[in-house]
Amino acid sequence: MGDVLMECMEIFSQDGVQLKSAQATYVNYLNLVGTLYITEYANSNCKRCLEWKPNDVTVDSDVQDQEWAVVNTVQKRSRTFSESQPPDASTRPKFLKVNFNDIKSFKISNKNRQLTIFDGKSEVTCCFIFQHGDCDYLLSLMRGLLKTVSAKRDKHLYIVIHGDDPETAQLDKSFAELNIFQDSSHPSWWKLVKNFQERPYETTFETFSRVTDFVYRSPDQRDIDDDQRELLHRSLTEYASTHCQGDYEVIAKVPELPERKDYPRGRPLSTEQWKNLQNHEGKLEDVDQIKLMIFRGGVAPNLRYEVWKYLLDYFPWDSTQVERQKLLCEKNDEYYNMKLQWKRMTRVQEDNFSDFRERKNLIEKDVNRTDRTLDFYAGDNNPNLQLLYDILMTYVMYNFDLGYVQGMSDLLSPILHLLKNEVDAFWCFVGFMNKINSNFDIDQAGMKEQLQNLHTILGFIEPQLVNYLDKHDSGNMFFCFRWLLVWFKRELSFEDVMRLWEVLWSGLPCDNFHLLVCVAILETEKQALMENNYGFTEILKHINDLCGKLDVPAILVKAEGIFHQIKEAEHLTDNIRVILGLPLVGTQPSPEEVISISPDSPDEDPYEQVYNTMQHIIT
Amino acid sequence: MGSRVNMRPTSKNTLLKVVILGDGGVGKSCLMNRFVSNQFDEHSFHTIGVEFLNKDIEIDGETYTLQIWDTAGQERFKTLRTPFYRGSDICMLTYAIDDKHSFRNLQMWKNEFLYYADVKENVQFPFIVIGNKSDVEANEREVSQVEMETWCNENAISACIETSAKNASNVQEAFATAVQHWLRLENRADKNECLYTDTVDLTKKQSENRTSCCINASDE
Ligand SMILES: Nc1nc2c(ncn2[C@@H]2O[C@H](COP(=O)(O)OP(=O)(O)OP(=O)(O)O)[C@@H](O)[C@H]2O)c(=O)[nH]1
Ligand SMILES: [Mg+2]
Repeated sequence: MGDVLMECMEIFSQDGVQLKSAQATYVNYLNLVGTLYITEYANSNCKRCLEWKPNDVTVDSDVQDQEWAVVNTVQKRSRTFSESQPPDASTRPKFLKVNFNDIKSFKISNKNRQLTIFDGKSEVTCCFIFQHGDCDYLLSLMRGLLKTVSAKRDKHLYIVIHGDDPETAQLDKSFAELNIFQDSSHPSWWKLVKNFQERPYETTFETFSRVTDFVYRSPDQRDIDDDQRELLHRSLTEYASTHCQGDYEVIAKVPELPERKDYPRGRPLSTEQWKNLQNHEGKLEDVDQIKLMIFRGGVAPNLRYEVWKYLLDYFPWDSTQVERQKLLCEKNDEYYNMKLQWKRMTRVQEDNFSDFRERKNLIEKDVNRTDRTLDFYAGDNNPNLQLLYDILMTYVMYNFDLGYVQGMSDLLSPILHLLKNEVDAFWCFVGFMNKINSNFDIDQAGMKEQLQNLHTILGFIEPQLVNYLDKHDSGNMFFCFRWLLVWFKRELSFEDVMRLWEVLWSGLPCDNFHLLVCVAILETEKQALMENNYGFTEILKHINDLCGKLDVPAILVKAEGIFHQIKEAEHLTDNIRVILGLPLVGTQPSPEEVISISPDSPDEDPYEQVYNTMQHIIT
Repeated sequence: MGSRVNMRPTSKNTLLKVVILGDGGVGKSCLMNRFVSNQFDEHSFHTIGVEFLNKDIEIDGETYTLQIWDTAGQERFKTLRTPFYRGSDICMLTYAIDDKHSFRNLQMWKNEFLYYADVKENVQFPFIVIGNKSDVEANEREVSQVEMETWCNENAISACIETSAKNASNVQEAFATAVQHWLRLENRADKNECLYTDTVDLTKKQSENRTSCCINASDE
């Protein structure tokens, strides 16, 4: 086995990778799911290769829900190279193999789940879909192993530089990249592309300018027929919208994160501090400071009753005592109005209103299964269960589209337990729901996005762990679903949940701080997961079993440390800035602006864009 | 069957993946807990996400390790639970006998399972239908045993049983029956093994789209 390893080393492997397009030779494997490897050969002139092997050709993967298809605990593990014969393209035609030297450019798309390889010879491409999360890690590897340039405003296209002369090389590759036009396989179009290729373009900008000029000269000057024009337009439209204007930057290896610092927790906001920060009208003087104190240490238990109403946007932060009094009356009326709506519903009405009935049934079932071990909700016919029920039913009338979704009773329970008042608890619950209602989207889009974002951030902090998870069918982060859906309600003691929630409600130090809380926990568990070599089921079990074992203050210290590391990292990506609500640097356009660029808007000339692009490479 | 990558076997037992499906509140988690730890908690939480527990069971002198998967029944969480169906050996379709609606939904659950579980076509899959809460008063019953059997016949499911997680009636039996049923089908499959091996069918896909040299799988 030793010498085998000498010959061929597996640098990377990820399973759950579906082959979406490839050369005709591989037609049998289209749509199959397999493992993607980066391998390195010791004694070969093609040092590194990207290789893909189908898992098990008997698997028919046509019907799966690709988006979430993940788990296959029974599939046969494809053999790694270290166990098998030294790989050789001729003896193993089953492998799709792309020599790194032949990769001229590659593109990431489809929310970082799709990798397309272009080899410069326009007719050969292959494309993979990553079913278990994204290909961020692979991307960072490829960018480390290959010298690439990337369009600043299309972070998703990477052009590989081969050879030593960067200038000619870059220009060369940029031409290669133009072959992305291949989407249109119309013969007359090919003729044109062939022209591009066969023309001795001598790696000078002038030539390129001539070519593009040819393409963009005013219609009457152009000596191409309408057919071609159509095709050109279409291709360039695609080009423009995916590649946009912008200069190229040389991507170096991913730099290291700044050092992790400890940010010790503070003391909870006390009644005295709270009172001191209110003026004679009962208006809070320094809201930012209050929020910061809450973020640092939470709220003293006896003060929660008051402060939570602000944190959950029931009371405006800048309201006076008089205003709040007025608000209470209004909200009281509004609540009981809505409550009457369902209370007054007759039997017949209900029978004819299946959506309502369905929500009602669910609530009935779940109220009986919510925190029943707490004294407050314990025992049969406990009146507090009725309160829980009434509030959830009234919420259905307040927001019928969202209605009731499992998990909501978990979110309401601590609030009602604390406030012990139906109307206050309802409005505070509304505030909480407003903060996280995307968790309960009909199509679960909000949850999917969060899991994806968690994966992205974790990949930034702990690439090794993310790679491990990816390799073990867990890149989808499903095992964090419960954490995210009800903000750790099921994992923590009641007291800890209240502390964590109020800290998160402060909205500091960034958006989606709860994702950093997840990252902090996962980082803590990294060793346990990886050293035990846990697989998919064991990872899930390990995470599920953390229930009751989490140390909230320690986790918050860590999460805040991670926040500062991210914020100060030189290689921080816009993607993560967006997730955390950090300001984007420079004057880069927002994604909307980028999308709006198309030849349809005359002032955004695609030529202009290509031109600028080339200029930057040359200078 | 049998060998599983992600589960380090603590023993050489055959590991069977069992998924319990059914509407929210029919008692899936209670059944699992009754079977695994012989406990019943009337007020346990509804399930969020996915959980599983392992439990050994002996059938005809052989020990099998059941890996029992329990998911949330609400429609909203469909996208979360369906990926876990793949690789299942046994599927328990569960309803509550005092909830007609949950019984009517069995068809939906069966279809959902077959669609996502990646079950080979034309292979009979070991389903077992479970009518839980058999302890409820007769006047609360909304689904009769006959109705259950009729539905099973119509759907070519040969195993069904009424259980009560509450008073531990028939719970062991339900899991044992499921494994036996699996064994029966497995043996039958073994006999036919020669028919299946090496008949990997790649021709279907090949025939289409062969015109160009580069073939793109159609998206979505
Ligand atoms: N009478 C009776 N009640 C039961 C029985 N099994 C479960 N229950 C009750 O039914 C309710 C729901 O049980 P669960 O096991 O939580 O239901 P589930 O199917 O797991 O529901 P979800 O997790 O929401 O999908 C619980 O409150 C139990 O008390 C039973 O055998 N008899
Ligand atoms: Mg359950």
